[in-house]
Amino acid sequence: MIATRFMELRKRRGLMIALVLVNIGLPTIFLAVRLVAHAVAPKSYGPAGGYDIFTNLVAGVMYVFGFIVAATLGCAAGSVDLTEGMFRHLVVTGRSRLAIYLARIPAGLAIVVPLVAVGFTIVCTVCVAAAPTKLNYQGVTLPAGLSRSGFLAWAGDHPVEVLCDLPGPVPANLPCPGPNGGGVPSGTPGEPSPAVLKSLAIQNAARIYPGYAATFLSPSNSLMIYSGLWIELEAVIGFIVGLGLGSLMGQRTVPVVLMIVLELILTPIFSTAVIAHLINFQRGVVGLAMAHLEPGGLPLAFGGDNRGTGISHLVPESTAIAVVVILAWLVGWTALGAWRMMTRDT
Amino acid sequence: MSTTTLPDTSDRQAADSQWAVETHGLTKRFGANIAVNGVELLVPRGCAFGYLGPNGAGKTTLIRVLLGLTHADAGTMSLLGYPVPKRRDAALARVGAIVDEPRFHGHLSGRQNLQILAAAREPAARDRIGPSLERVGLAHRANDKVSKYSMGMRQRLGVAACLLGDPQLLILDEPMNGLDPAGMYEMRDMILSLVAEGRTVVLSSHLLDEVERTCDAVAIVDKGNIIRQGPISELLAGASLGLQVECSEPDRARVLLDGTNIGARIEVGSEGLGLTLAEGTPRDVIAEINRVLVEGGISVYRLQQVQASLESWFLQVTSRLGAPQ
Repeated sequence: MIATRFMELRKRRGLMIALVLVNIGLPTIFLAVRLVAHAVAPKSYGPAGGYDIFTNLVAGVMYVFGFIVAATLGCAAGSVDLTEGMFRHLVVTGRSRLAIYLARIPAGLAIVVPLVAVGFTIVCTVCVAAAPTKLNYQGVTLPAGLSRSGFLAWAGDHPVEVLCDLPGPVPANLPCPGPNGGGVPSGTPGEPSPAVLKSLAIQNAARIYPGYAATFLSPSNSLMIYSGLWIELEAVIGFIVGLGLGSLMGQRTVPVVLMIVLELILTPIFSTAVIAHLINFQRGVVGLAMAHLEPGGLPLAFGGDNRGTGISHLVPESTAIAVVVILAWLVGWTALGAWRMMTRDT
Repeated sequence: MSTTTLPDTSDRQAADSQWAVETHGLTKRFGANIAVNGVELLVPRGCAFGYLGPNGAGKTTLIRVLLGLTHADAGTMSLLGYPVPKRRDAALARVGAIVDEPRFHGHLSGRQNLQILAAAREPAARDRIGPSLERVGLAHRANDKVSKYSMGMRQRLGVAACLLGDPQLLILDEPMNGLDPAGMYEMRDMILSLVAEGRTVVLSSHLLDEVERTCDAVAIVDKGNIIRQGPISELLAGASLGLQVECSEPDRARVLLDGTNIGARIEVGSEGLGLTLAEGTPRDVIAEINRVLVEGGISVYRLQQVQASLESWFLQVTSRLGAPQ
């Protein structure tokens, strides 16, 4: 039964085109244009991939639009049997209404999850493969993507750049070139020996490595894995809630509009504006809960960009509560949709 | 070594039931409106059963209640001996039904729609898709999108959907809708062949002529009540009796008959006198009419009993005839 429900959804050409376009087409086109532009004019256009591109695509495009198209598919899955007259045929087969409803969930997820995964894989691939090979960190050109040991080794080989140009104390009597230099000419008596400089550079590099890593140009594996799971979860929530709402209302258009309003208007408002009398209601908004589970390296969804500042503008909520809220939305909307389909006169 | 699994008691009881459909005091209300009012319906197994009634009489509502598409407010019912809703799933596994206009996913082909419905039934239903399409004459269009089907083709597809479960009982709500004369003939033929296979067909229709030609028994429903049910031949035998009299001087003949106490409604027409005798009038009255006319000097050329049709009887017993305008 799940296979035929999957087939029924997959054959909805318009819906499938929208899903593919948003989940795969938009990031692919965006990245392809950047690849071509960088290949043609590398000085004018930066690399197509990299950390910034990754984080902005994931948190800015795939997260929000993935939710909306998954919700649209869910609303369609929840309502088309009713609006197209198939629900009666299905009920008359004697199969329980609950089973008819529940079969829609794996069928829909079998479409949504792979599509999001394909789109995300494309983004990851381009962002890693086409990431810049050098990083401009606080005005100093550094090699990108170094591990801690690699970064320390590089610092040992470039002690003057590390000590003179990167943040940290400049040793006395060190002849630093350029505007950050200590103004001491080379050959000054008391200048540190190369071994001391190397040691001091490694110490400084170890201190600034967390800052360097935070602006890593190529997204780390852990960030990509966590981000992928996070946008998959968002898409799953969109589908399940859409399915429940579509089944509850027995139509597609109004639930889709409501889901868009929830994602684009209500969630940003309730996630960042602390309204004293509604604080617990705000904590029950699934978008806020999802924002609290967002991977640390991404720009905060709905909360402004906190990278580098460590300041979140989100309405405070513990991780445990966020998980409970998400589970409640998944279970609650499934139960509501199932209940309505089990009790509906048709 | 082989073992035989006996059906449980309720399955055996269901198989022993002589009624395909049985309802007692079945009631369905929509607010203050009673759509189905204490219906007592008995449909014997293995027959074609017509379910007739004027528009708004509650025909489709009763079918929806029977099939679990809406709940009953009172009463009991069973399908093929299975109490519904308690054993609704077991009952419906052996039932095929079309309710109202058959509608399907328009973006899918007829075959794909049947695949969805077959998947909701037992595994063997998948093997019946091809034969069902063949039987309703849709095999050559099975891979076309349903959105390109005519109304008649969708009706056929609805019947094909009914056949997926190899049903013992088919409930068809207006299956002739949208069919051309040839299609109606084929549908009638198919219904008769289904009955010949031992299945029960409940046919809800407003096409009285079709019902009369197809069904063995009928129930007449009006304003939510079943007002008559039984074999058509028995019901019509109890209907008012029509008599056509071709004679000389029809006007004087009318005066003569008005002076008797036979209690007939008499009309003078181009073919002579038309008499309508009340239900249950003994056949001796016909001889008495002949005697009165002959003794009155009227030449009687022809005296013919006119069998009441289902249509005329239907109009007599429902509120459509004699109701205050």
